[in-house]
Amino acid sequence: TEAVGLYNVGETCCLNSLLQVFFMNIHFTRILRRITVPSPAWRRSNVPYQMLLLLEKMQCGKCKAVWPTELAYCLAEHRVKLFVQYDAAQLFLTLWNLLKKQMKKPELVEELSDLYTIHIREHLACQNCSFEIKNNSTMLTLPLPVLDANSHRLKTLEHCLQYFFLPEELTGQNMCFCQQCGRETPFLQSRKLVQLPETLTLHLKRFCFERSSYTLKLSHSLPFPQELDFREILTENQCQADDSEKASWQYELFAVVAHSGYSSWGHYCAYIRSLTECRWYCFNDSHVCQVSWDDVKCTYGRSNLSLRETAYLLFYMKKHPQ
Amino acid sequence: MAQWQEVQSLANTYLEQVHQLYAGSALPMAVRQCLAAWIEDQNWRQAAEPLSSGHARMLFHSLLVLLGECLGSLGSGHEEFMLKHNLRKAQRDLQAEFEKKPEGFANLVANLLQEERRILRLGQAGGQGGSAPAPSPAPESGREQQIQRRLAEFHTALQEAERSFRHLEDLQDAFDFCYKVHYRPADNRSNDPGYIQELQALQAKLQSLDRQRREVLAQMQQLLGRSETLQELLQEELGGWRLRQQRLCLGGPGDTNLRPLETWFTELGQGLFQLRQLLRALQDLRQKVTYERDPLVAETPLLEQRLQEQLTHLLKSAFVVEQQPSTPNASRRPLVLRTASKFSARARLLVRLHDRNHHMEARIHIDRDPPNIKGFRKFNILTSSSKTLLAGDSPQEGLVCDFQYLTLKEQKESRAGKGKGSSGEGPLVVTEELHLITFTLAYAYCGLELELETTTLPFVIISNNNQFSSAWASILWFNMLSSDPKAQQFFSSPPPAPWPRLAEVLNWQFQSVAERGLSRDNLLMLAEKLLGSKPSQDSTVTWPKFSKDGPAGFSFWAWLDGILGLLQEHLKQLWKDELILGFVSRKQEKKLLKSKCTGTFLLRFSESVLGGVTFTWVEHPEKGSPTFQAVDPYTASELVSLALPDIIHDYQMMVEENIPENPLKYLYPSTPRDEAFGPYYSQRQKETLSDSQKYLNRRLIRVSSRQPGKWQTEEELVVATENLEMLQLQPRGQGTQQAGGLALPQPQTSGTPQVTPGCLGTPQGVATSPGVPQVTPECLGTPQGVASRLGIAQVTATCLGTLQPRGLGMLQPQPQNLEPPRVAAGVPDIQGTLHVAPGAVGTVQVLPGGLGMLQVGAGDLGTLQGQQGTVAVYTETLQGAVEPPRVPEEKGTLPAALRELELLQGSRDVQELLQGSRDVQELLQGSRDVQELLQGSQDVQELLQGSRDVQELLQGSQDVQELLQGSQDVQELLPESQDVQELLQALEGLGPGSGSLGALEEAELMPSVVESLEESFQLSPGSAALLDHHDPFLPQPEDSALPAVSSLFTDFPPLQLDASDFQ
Repeated sequence: TEAVGLYNVGETCCLNSLLQVFFMNIHFTRILRRITVPSPAWRRSNVPYQMLLLLEKMQCGKCKAVWPTELAYCLAEHRVKLFVQYDAAQLFLTLWNLLKKQMKKPELVEELSDLYTIHIREHLACQNCSFEIKNNSTMLTLPLPVLDANSHRLKTLEHCLQYFFLPEELTGQNMCFCQQCGRETPFLQSRKLVQLPETLTLHLKRFCFERSSYTLKLSHSLPFPQELDFREILTENQCQADDSEKASWQYELFAVVAHSGYSSWGHYCAYIRSLTECRWYCFNDSHVCQVSWDDVKCTYGRSNLSLRETAYLLFYMKKHPQ
Repeated sequence: MAQWQEVQSLANTYLEQVHQLYAGSALPMAVRQCLAAWIEDQNWRQAAEPLSSGHARMLFHSLLVLLGECLGSLGSGHEEFMLKHNLRKAQRDLQAEFEKKPEGFANLVANLLQEERRILRLGQAGGQGGSAPAPSPAPESGREQQIQRRLAEFHTALQEAERSFRHLEDLQDAFDFCYKVHYRPADNRSNDPGYIQELQALQAKLQSLDRQRREVLAQMQQLLGRSETLQELLQEELGGWRLRQQRLCLGGPGDTNLRPLETWFTELGQGLFQLRQLLRALQDLRQKVTYERDPLVAETPLLEQRLQEQLTHLLKSAFVVEQQPSTPNASRRPLVLRTASKFSARARLLVRLHDRNHHMEARIHIDRDPPNIKGFRKFNILTSSSKTLLAGDSPQEGLVCDFQYLTLKEQKESRAGKGKGSSGEGPLVVTEELHLITFTLAYAYCGLELELETTTLPFVIISNNNQFSSAWASILWFNMLSSDPKAQQFFSSPPPAPWPRLAEVLNWQFQSVAERGLSRDNLLMLAEKLLGSKPSQDSTVTWPKFSKDGPAGFSFWAWLDGILGLLQEHLKQLWKDELILGFVSRKQEKKLLKSKCTGTFLLRFSESVLGGVTFTWVEHPEKGSPTFQAVDPYTASELVSLALPDIIHDYQMMVEENIPENPLKYLYPSTPRDEAFGPYYSQRQKETLSDSQKYLNRRLIRVSSRQPGKWQTEEELVVATENLEMLQLQPRGQGTQQAGGLALPQPQTSGTPQVTPGCLGTPQGVATSPGVPQVTPECLGTPQGVASRLGIAQVTATCLGTLQPRGLGMLQPQPQNLEPPRVAAGVPDIQGTLHVAPGAVGTVQVLPGGLGMLQVGAGDLGTLQGQQGTVAVYTETLQGAVEPPRVPEEKGTLPAALRELELLQGSRDVQELLQGSRDVQELLQGSRDVQELLQGSQDVQELLQGSRDVQELLQGSQDVQELLQGSQDVQELLPESQDVQELLQALEGLGPGSGSLGALEEAELMPSVVESLEESFQLSPGSAALLDHHDPFLPQPEDSALPAVSSLFTDFPPLQLDASDFQ
């Protein structure tokens, strides 16, 4: 099917981009199509249902773009207002949580979670005694810093990932209370990767808060690969998974949500690789066009062109041996 | 190509799909065919939108009208009859079906077109898949195609956006009109159903206007995104071009045509300016109509800023230095400029967009942000530093600012602190000082004003040609290694060069100078020489190792550049045709020759002599291991008079029985000598008796005498009679001689040292004079030339000891040898008596050996005093031997030499001596190198003339100082001119001290002066080489079996020398 655009119905470029990422993910649409239709009274405010309606409209219509008006109203009822600029990462979480909450079938909820959640075990080890706190947590996105602790630019996405999983010493003000020692002691905090989902979402923290309330956008170049293999990026002790799980940690880039403009004001568009045709498309609200990897690479960023499109969210899809 | 045409050219399977598409379609294919171009031109998708009914209706009716026109224009042929029928039927059907719902029709056409495109894509992809095994075009051109395709797409999208924009304008006009007519909030008609209906219609119009605005904005966002990619691709290409330009500067291969880049940059620039205009127009629309949450209010400023950023970036990068600064005659080696000589540089703006009425001015600045280096020289550009950007009359020429005839002058005030490396005041020597020229351009176009600037690659400014070689080494090193093209402090801590990279660059040097690069074996030898071991991928060479003096007395680069110079001047053809093996170590050489038969030889470059080439041959004695013989290397000074192939051809070896033979039989591996070199032998003139029967036939050959237990054989220049029966002297080959190579400095290499003594004291300057007659081309062939040579030879024999110890073995024990040359000198007289005994010939051979020495003597401290002695006798002989009537045409020349010699003998006033050298100059007219020896001749001469006192002269003369500096490490030898003064004082002290000492005694003293120089001024090995045992014509370390004996001078008749002569 030809890709269909979504009209901007009032600063909805961010929503439109995310919706396209959802809709182009066949694993997601497979779940979405199986939802139970809510009773007429609830239809208007049911996010999964409105999303399905929109998807249907996009697929059956012969128009180049459709209006996500109903969905926008529906979201507005859930305090996602129109005419407000959203942060794509934030909106993604909101949207996903709404979807999860309003899906009635538990098996669908489970499938949705499996599709997107990342399992991580956090270790907090007291440096004094050997007391250790382990904590399993789940995440929807990996929020990757693009600068290291000394504000040096990290060179590539792989570096960002490595840096994210680097153990961190908590000393000084950050010391934690140790039950065993009975006082605040320096801790070593480390993260171990337990499980990765089918669709892996990476969030590049390009917006950094400089003194006071001013937000700065970091537009420097950060290349990301088309193929990502976590076994090459992470060391043995940064993972906590069996070999079969690790064997599946091979990913292929599926979508990029790119932001152009300033931190306070800008525009979002989405580059998505069609899973059926294996072609890249750029979704710019109502305007969709086929692009090439060169165009996607353009979202790496460039220091001296700060207003230009830079990747903000990256979606990777698990590779399956054919 | 139009879509319909492309569809028609699809493969059959895909065409079938197209037929199916139209089979059940309400739009017959005949109509599609008939109005193909028009249909494709319309925006059906837009018209199909539910709220733009007017648009769809307009299109539908236009189609019917056009169809009618089409029918009318058809002829009455049979074929057309059917077509007419079909079209008429289609017209009726369409009208019936879609009259009421033109949107449906618009949607139908839009979908058909879309489906066509899909099939087209499939078909083309399929076609590509089928032809995939066929060789795809080179990646380079693939890249070009990609850029061109993207540019085309960009322009199509831009047109699309413009169409959308015009539609938006229409919608806005319609809304505006209705709004002004119908909207009456003042009169309270809120209950009037008609008014409410109107308001609703107005609301709908506003909605469609808002939608169209968002649509246009989305389109523009998309356009900007694509142009960002396009620009990224262009920047990559430009980066590639910059690299190619840099490589080309170094002599590497590469195409630096800017034309395609210029076209692409211009097209993209045009597109972006168009987009900018569109955005402006969009803002105008906003000015007229705006409403709550107008997307234009929110988004256009950002779009405009983003566009501005892109345009600025594009324009800034589009201003490039097309031609790096270079002097016109050193085209192969740009980026080395000389003060006071002209150079040019050119910048170009690749975005060929400008306003004809607005003149843009370009300026150049040198070292706008000078680096913080102590003693960094400051320069002014003497010629005008601003220029109007030339648009050129034809569009092909582009926007160019071409600065020609620029000259640089050093700023006066900086001189006090400049030090120029001679005393180590500044951390950088002149040739490591990098300078930049910045071009700035005040660009203005369509209301966009920008200050563009671009910077040349760093260049080196020298003040004398003899700095050229080391300046070029700096340029090579910088461009090879620096990642920052503006790093003027590069040589504060130059990084080492990875060997593979260096090898590549060295290869380019040979490629560009001599048209053949270095072979793998050549490079291996060079690597071993530089690194001391076999190179690996990680081997690196440091800058001092490359350019500073090595154990051999000169740097690796000086050595290599000497060879390059030699190749360019004399051996290009041989090198090109791979007759010179070139870079072979001694060990390797033995290995190669060992298994070859006696007489196999190879040509290689000397490792101990600057710019020297030698041949080595193998001999297999009846007993024992093979022996290898190598001749003393030939340098430019010899090759200028005798081409190497001729030397090889005539090379003679004295065996025990004194029968000369040529030991060179086969060129390695096994090519017979004459087969290999035959094509290069110069033509022996078939004698026309009438012309020159007065003279003996004569040609220059070189022979060696074998000396036991030595590696290299000695060699003397022989004037051999080619044909003993005729005994005609034949001025053979002299015409081909290059002017003035011999005793005179080659600006780049080994010649330089000869300048040094010339500046040290006057006597040396004078010393060149006796050598002069040999240099002048005319003199060589004439009997007079012979005579003078003989004269010299005679003298040389007596003073040979100090000058050239190796000649000694032959000459000294036989003082009677002095006689036969006189006979030979007389030969021209007595043409009929040809009975010159072979023995006499033998002695003759000896004498020109002295000549060879004499040639060098000009530049050599050690030999120079001896020559003074020489001169005294020389004149006697000359006067005795030469009879003016016999050489009428040389009359003017010879007396000049005589006059000068008399100067030497009689009055030793320095100034007069130098005036004499003006005569020398006259003598040497036509020989440019000589003039260069004299540092643009005028400078030194005038300086010397101007100041009676040599000391003052050296102190005051900047040019001499520069001269000294240029010669490799003479800087160190003469840290300051004060030291020179001291030296001269020392000399002076010697003079008066010895009272009326003869030149001989002073000559003896000279070496000790040199020694003391070595001690007190830290004479570097490099300069020692120039003064001492490394002189090419003095014994090499390998064959220094014979000690330099200076006491031989004791036999020499004392010359009257006055102490005041040196005042």
